[in-house]
Amino acid sequence: MLRRRLLDRLDVPTIVAALGLALVGMLAIASATAEQPGRASLWQTQLVWLAIASTVALVVMTVDYHIWAEFALGLHAAGVALLVAVLLFGKAVGGNRSWLDVGPVAFQPSEFVKWTTCLATAAFLSKRVHNRVRLVQGLQLVAIIGTPMALIAKQPDMGTALTFVPIFLGAMLLGGIQWRWVLGAAVVVALLTPVGWGHLKPYQRERILTVANPDRDPSGVGYQVRQSKIAVGSGRVTGKGLFKGTQNRLNFLPAQHTDFVLAVIAEELGFIGAAGVLVLLYYVLYRGLVAARSSQDRLGTYLSLLVVCWFTGQTAINIGMVVGLMPTIGVPLPFVSYGGTALIAVMCGVALIANVRGHRFVN
Amino acid sequence: MDYRERWELKEYQSEQRLGRRANLLHATIIVVLTGFLGMFWYLQIVKGVDYELLAENNRLRRITMPPTRGVVFDRHDAILASTRPALNLVLVREGLQDADAQMKRLESVLGIPYQGMKDRLTAMHRRPTFEPLVIKEDVQLADIAKVEARREWFPSVEVEETALRDYPDGPAVAHAVGYVGEVNESQLAKIADGSIQQGDIVGKSGIERQYDEVLRGRRGWKLVTVNSLGRPFGTSQPGRIPEDGRPLKLTIDKTLQRTLVEALADEVGSGIFMDPRTGAVLALASTPGYDPNVFTAPVSHTTWMSLVNDPRRPLNDRAISSFYAPGSTFKVLMTIAGLESGAITPSSTVACSGSVVVYGRPFLCWKKGGHGVVGVHGALVHSCNVFYYLLGKRMGIDTISKYAKMFNIGETTGIDIPGETRGNPPSAEWKERTRKEPWYPGDTISVSIGQGLLAVTPVQMATMISAVANGGSLVRPHLARDADVAPVKLPVSAGTLAVIRDALADVVEEGTATRAQLGPIRVAGKTGTAQVFKKSAGVDADKLSKDERDHAWFVGYAPAENPEIAFAIVVEHGGHGGTTAAPVARKVLEAFFADRLPPKPTPDATPAAGQLQARLGSRPEAAGAAPTPAR
Repeated sequence: MLRRRLLDRLDVPTIVAALGLALVGMLAIASATAEQPGRASLWQTQLVWLAIASTVALVVMTVDYHIWAEFALGLHAAGVALLVAVLLFGKAVGGNRSWLDVGPVAFQPSEFVKWTTCLATAAFLSKRVHNRVRLVQGLQLVAIIGTPMALIAKQPDMGTALTFVPIFLGAMLLGGIQWRWVLGAAVVVALLTPVGWGHLKPYQRERILTVANPDRDPSGVGYQVRQSKIAVGSGRVTGKGLFKGTQNRLNFLPAQHTDFVLAVIAEELGFIGAAGVLVLLYYVLYRGLVAARSSQDRLGTYLSLLVVCWFTGQTAINIGMVVGLMPTIGVPLPFVSYGGTALIAVMCGVALIANVRGHRFVN
Repeated sequence: MDYRERWELKEYQSEQRLGRRANLLHATIIVVLTGFLGMFWYLQIVKGVDYELLAENNRLRRITMPPTRGVVFDRHDAILASTRPALNLVLVREGLQDADAQMKRLESVLGIPYQGMKDRLTAMHRRPTFEPLVIKEDVQLADIAKVEARREWFPSVEVEETALRDYPDGPAVAHAVGYVGEVNESQLAKIADGSIQQGDIVGKSGIERQYDEVLRGRRGWKLVTVNSLGRPFGTSQPGRIPEDGRPLKLTIDKTLQRTLVEALADEVGSGIFMDPRTGAVLALASTPGYDPNVFTAPVSHTTWMSLVNDPRRPLNDRAISSFYAPGSTFKVLMTIAGLESGAITPSSTVACSGSVVVYGRPFLCWKKGGHGVVGVHGALVHSCNVFYYLLGKRMGIDTISKYAKMFNIGETTGIDIPGETRGNPPSAEWKERTRKEPWYPGDTISVSIGQGLLAVTPVQMATMISAVANGGSLVRPHLARDADVAPVKLPVSAGTLAVIRDALADVVEEGTATRAQLGPIRVAGKTGTAQVFKKSAGVDADKLSKDERDHAWFVGYAPAENPEIAFAIVVEHGGHGGTTAAPVARKVLEAFFADRLPPKPTPDATPAAGQLQARLGSRPEAAGAAPTPAR
């Protein structure tokens, strides 16, 4: 009787899918860093991060999500405070001030805030009286999601900031915004696009233009996109074999263990490998949708769906970049890319889904 | 409906809406991920082969390995042209940063103009980045040291090994061996078999050009796996090993070649010395020359223009491409024609009074008082014009033309150097065809003493006199040892040749070319003067400015009895052949017969010097005797 309860409460398929993605990522990271001086043991580091992330995720999963929701605003406020701290005391890596040194490890608060944003937004949506997003609720959502996004954009880490957009859109959609508002917003965005274009930095404009025409500047901005597409395409059906990707190992592929890790998989494991990763990712998202449907209350539903929005957005931006449909923006592929904080964040995210799923029969 | 029912209805509606919107989210996810799956399908399966090729092109660099050009040797295996290692200063374009700053520093440290470098770097932007920009070719160690001392200023500047053509004797071999250079568009178009490509070094003139296919070799290549920085990675795949050019042995004798160039000194002119029995060229020079080494590295525009625009035209190979009136040297051929055609016999005589009226016009002999009664021998030895005016009139132009053609006058000799010209043959048909003018009888009279319309190249005269020397066979002059062809026996009687050879020996013995005397070795030859301007006729050369003087000829061979070497020399505006051209021949012959001549006296007296001086005293020029002005 007790054993059955435990198994029921543990969302095994979701956890297996997430861990499977992380293990595929580990192999790809090992291959991607094998020839990079001083980075050859990075996959072991990632293994340690996975252990840490799993432990944290276990805690997130075991503690009832209603309790997490109680502390949601506080956690989110703490996260925003960390983002302010990053701007004040952070460490700059590659032009972005997005890291905080915590003892021996560097920590990216922006990844953690993605998680608290989902939690706080779900708590907000589930507690409101009117289940329709109008002006007031809309502004409240902007405050919850837009504040960290603006702080991250200030780092300036445009990629991570961009991942808050799907969460925001998801919150509006799931919160019950009326379609006429959506339409109106779309018109406003369309009208404001030229203004926004004027505010972009020249290199950002170049990146966007390069997506439309990859041959625009094959040696400069177009280079990364082009090399990624060559890596993916040259993998063909079955790939060149693990650890045998030339684009990867000869360093033609940029950021091959982080943002372009899927290109490594596609090159070395071919279409089969890339499709496999897509299927696993879809499965994790699907499990989120299942958990949302089976949830006994709105909080669980919102929580699962917002995490799904977060993962979907981040996945779409990353893969879009790898196959050359999106500008080059530094966004990791959930579970697969190298990065400790990012891994902890997505594992905690998937833990929320499992948490919701696990508590479907409670009370 | 009470409040509670309304609330429950609203709750139900929002529940339904949330469910619909969750489904919308699900649909979005499926569309996006299916789209990505389709994109992977397109990239990996539809376009996979193309991208595989692109990945291979990324990875594999085809590194060209140039062949080493064949060495050119002289007849004694001394090196005339070889390839030496050299160092180039290059700017590595792979991962190049701060190019401007580095080039500006190069300008300040080495004085290489910044703008030029920048322009060439810009011009290279479509080339693969692993090809570096060559900043300076054949750089000296001092310049490398300047760069190395400031290493941190020049992160992208490297020294690259290369090979350059090297001519150890420089100007001395310029016109015989020629020079090499980077292949140009027209040559690329001409040799379309893919054996040469942009950037290859090919022969541009002389032997280098004539035997380019032998000397060039075939470039090879290898495939090297490189990383994104262009650094080699792992092992390279074998491609094709370059085939080095084959060595070429010439008939040139480097010592004679040097002596000839030194003997011509500052004169404008040319000389060709060859073995009259085979046509093997021993020395071939044209002055002023140029240093073929300047062409090995890309020639700067100014250097090139100064060579092209030099009024003395140093790039011209005068020995094969300049043609002049042969002057009295043509009398050799006239005599052969006269004797062979039967117009005269060895015992024919003419009375020379210093001038003769032919076709109603007076023609002068060079000797004002006349030669008196002269025979065939005397006419040739003393170069009596009147004798040949009358001989020419008797034979007519067609007979002269027939024998000139037989001896290759006005025809190319087939020497294996590109650029040989024909000159103007003594032919009525030729004049009518090219000048559209009839042949006048007076033209024949002018041609009879080697003036007028007739123009010949030095190599033609060398071939003609070789035939006299070797007993009547026409040889083909050549510089490559393997290029000799069998001499063609001409229908000329031995008796005729004996008369000529006897007279030619006396020309040096007692006639116009005493300055060519060589002690125990008897030299035979004939001087000549090619009129440049009418006004020079009958005026002493010393009284004319250099540019107005006639061209001086000397053709001949030695030893007179059993010739081993034949020659033709032209000194432009040299005045009398005997004064300027004959000493050039003597200096070269002296070197040729060095082991058969008594040792030369040295200016500072050694114990034996006085004795030697006495022995050599019989040679007028050695004793410092003033030469008699003579033609």
